[in-house]
Amino acid sequence: MTPVTLRDMVERRLTWLAGIVLLWGALIFYNLVSLQVFHHSEFVRKARARQEQVIEIPAPRGVVLDRTGQPLAMSVPTDSVSVNPLSVPNIKVDSELLARELHLDPAELCARMQQAFDNRRGFLWVKRNISAQEAEDLRNLHLDWIRFESGSQRHYPKGTLAAHVLGGVDFEEKGSWGVERSLEADLRGEPGQVRLLTDVKRRGIEEQLTSEARPGTTITLTIDERLQFVAEREIAAAVAQHHAVSGSVVVMDPHDGQILALASFPTYDPNQPPVTAADQENRANHAVGVPFEPGSVFKVITLSAALETTKLRPDSPINCHGGVLTLFQRTIHDSHLGYGILPMALVLAHSSNIGAIEIGLQVGRENMYNYVRRFGFNQRTGIPLPGEAKGRLRNWTKWSGTSLASVSMGQEVSVTTLQLAQAGSVVANGGLLVKPRLILKEGDEVPPSRPPVRVIQPETAIAMRKMMEGVVLVGTGRGARLQGYTVGGKTGSAQIYDYDSKHYTHTYNGSFMGFAPLTNPAVVVVVTLNGTHGTAGFGGAAAAPVFKAVATEALRLLDVPKDLPDEPPPTLVAKNESVDDLAIAELGSTQPNILEDKDDDDQPAAPPKETPVKAPSVSQAQLAPTVPNFTGMTLRAVLVEAAAQGIVVQPDGSGVARVQSPPPGAILHQGERIRVQFTR
Amino acid sequence: MATAPAYFRRTDTAGTEASAVRPESTRPERDRFLLRSLPHEDVYFYCKKIDNSRLVREPDPRGRGACWSAIGVACLALVSLTGVLAPSVATTLAGYKLEALRAEEHRMVDERRALELQEAQLLSPERLDRLAQTQNLVTPSPNQVVHLDNQAKGAVAMVKK
Repeated sequence: MTPVTLRDMVERRLTWLAGIVLLWGALIFYNLVSLQVFHHSEFVRKARARQEQVIEIPAPRGVVLDRTGQPLAMSVPTDSVSVNPLSVPNIKVDSELLARELHLDPAELCARMQQAFDNRRGFLWVKRNISAQEAEDLRNLHLDWIRFESGSQRHYPKGTLAAHVLGGVDFEEKGSWGVERSLEADLRGEPGQVRLLTDVKRRGIEEQLTSEARPGTTITLTIDERLQFVAEREIAAAVAQHHAVSGSVVVMDPHDGQILALASFPTYDPNQPPVTAADQENRANHAVGVPFEPGSVFKVITLSAALETTKLRPDSPINCHGGVLTLFQRTIHDSHLGYGILPMALVLAHSSNIGAIEIGLQVGRENMYNYVRRFGFNQRTGIPLPGEAKGRLRNWTKWSGTSLASVSMGQEVSVTTLQLAQAGSVVANGGLLVKPRLILKEGDEVPPSRPPVRVIQPETAIAMRKMMEGVVLVGTGRGARLQGYTVGGKTGSAQIYDYDSKHYTHTYNGSFMGFAPLTNPAVVVVVTLNGTHGTAGFGGAAAAPVFKAVATEALRLLDVPKDLPDEPPPTLVAKNESVDDLAIAELGSTQPNILEDKDDDDQPAAPPKETPVKAPSVSQAQLAPTVPNFTGMTLRAVLVEAAAQGIVVQPDGSGVARVQSPPPGAILHQGERIRVQFTR
Repeated sequence: MATAPAYFRRTDTAGTEASAVRPESTRPERDRFLLRSLPHEDVYFYCKKIDNSRLVREPDPRGRGACWSAIGVACLALVSLTGVLAPSVATTLAGYKLEALRAEEHRMVDERRALELQEAQLLSPERLDRLAQTQNLVTPSPNQVVHLDNQAKGAVAMVKK
């Protein structure tokens, strides 16, 4: 046997060693291939799960601003606190700790946590939308069994201001009323996602955007919060003063349809979720969603239709039949002691029902129906508020014998305050139907507005304006006169129909529709009080003062130049006609209160029945100032003379007055300016 | 591979074979009581003085060059490695900073929203009206406000007393 030499032995052992090393390397290589190739995706996924966090980029709900940029609704990030009751070390002690930090009832929280623990529930909301201070205090405890969930909470920083416009959101920040609901798609943002690479201590190193967050669009309303506040304050005071059930105010720019204020009472705080049925009722928007019989304000439509379709003119005589009219074997009583023959302008000023019926009969059913529709009634305005009512008006082919008479004085038709504002804008802007707008801007984009539609001729609109000025000067709307501005308006007081007894009650819808200044109206204001009582609840007594307060503030805020001296010339003030409170007398009357006689205006300046008044237009003209002769006077002298007489002069040029319009001696209407041309 | 037992076994075997071959006669009888000689007992050491002072190291330019080359390569490798790794390290550090700043930004945005809310609450018309009433401030009536036309200094209106 050959002896084993040292070399052989070394070589053999080295061979084994090399084999083992090779095998070891092969195993390592195989493992590497396995890890890097065969199980690559699996380990990448596992690594990402450990190293990456998917973080949601919050997309806050859009802010709602008023026209001046003041936020009316905004969302603020908040934290909500939850626990896993199964991992809470000591429920009794820890619930007390949590309750103390979160200002909760310890016993109640302990019972909830204990119940969840007994039911083997692994999740329990402790408190949602906690304050920043509470979150900080709780985080400082460094307790790993407390979980924080980031969220967002909707806030309405102005409280009840514009609550019916804004609406509200539910607990998921989803719009449930108002523009929050109608503009939900724009206001609601879409959250984004990022993948955040973290280290072992979960500190972020690098992030990769997965999807971009799209915050909600900022909505700018046409509402002016200052005017809105005044409107809400005044309507709330009026409702309380006149013991009304509800009320509403709409302030509208007649030229572009922008709603400057939209108030409804009773109101609510959108920060508080509705709890009771009364809370739900308070959310009803009376300006948009609750139609009512307008009463005498509707005579504006009747007279406009008459000017357009008949030969009647403002000075055309209308026989008011002494306040009694028999129509289709039914006797209709005027609310007043009755007028004889009045010019059409005074029919409107004194709000004669019989006169309006006479005018309506001349207009005819079809024309009346068409004009009511053309003024925007019986159809929704399209304002972006949910629950808008379109009102009610039967087709003229289905009218009864007295329907035309009823519609002529604002009955058998129901309208909303917003529709009245829209109709008032037609008269104010020269005859164009402009749809109300509530959204000024969506983000930076101005939403397109619908083109206005011609409803009545400009001449008709101007004539209506002058007649409506008479309502404020000598008629039922004297409570709406403004200091420094000419005003046109119309009062309305309609009895409320009781569906149970099938009769009209002696509660009223008192309303006022007006605009100012007369020559170029800047605002249309419509005020409605529902459920007023007695003569103090009529439109002229209850709604006109609200109009005055709101319109005064609106004209001040809009910086509208005055067209009257601050102190009105005494000659332009109407004579204090005797106020016959005929509605009260009528309440005690034994005569049947028929449907057609349910519309009474307040403070009717009516003469006794025995002496029907003739048209006082002549006397009014005689009382009005005449245009002085400025010819040959210097500019300074003209201004001094005009100031002394309380007349507004519009000078043009320099030197000596040569030409003036209106000419000397002409009757100067209220608010009218005298243009004087100066040359050297 | 050689192990300690095998080594000693081999040396013992080698000694046995040598004594068997060697003739006994050539070796004188040893005194049995004489001590065995120690290994290398016949080797004597002494110090020999060597003078190397005349030796002079010959300069080797190639060796020095190689040395410097090695140093240069090492430095280059270090720089390259640093250059390769530095961006990654810088990116990581910048990532930390960026994420911290983003978190700060989010916090600031949230705080700004909260402050905006607070400002809006403070500027509520109702609150301002209430404050105005407590200080006996009233809205000027229309005849009190005088609009100033063509005023260059920004005044647009004044209130008459």
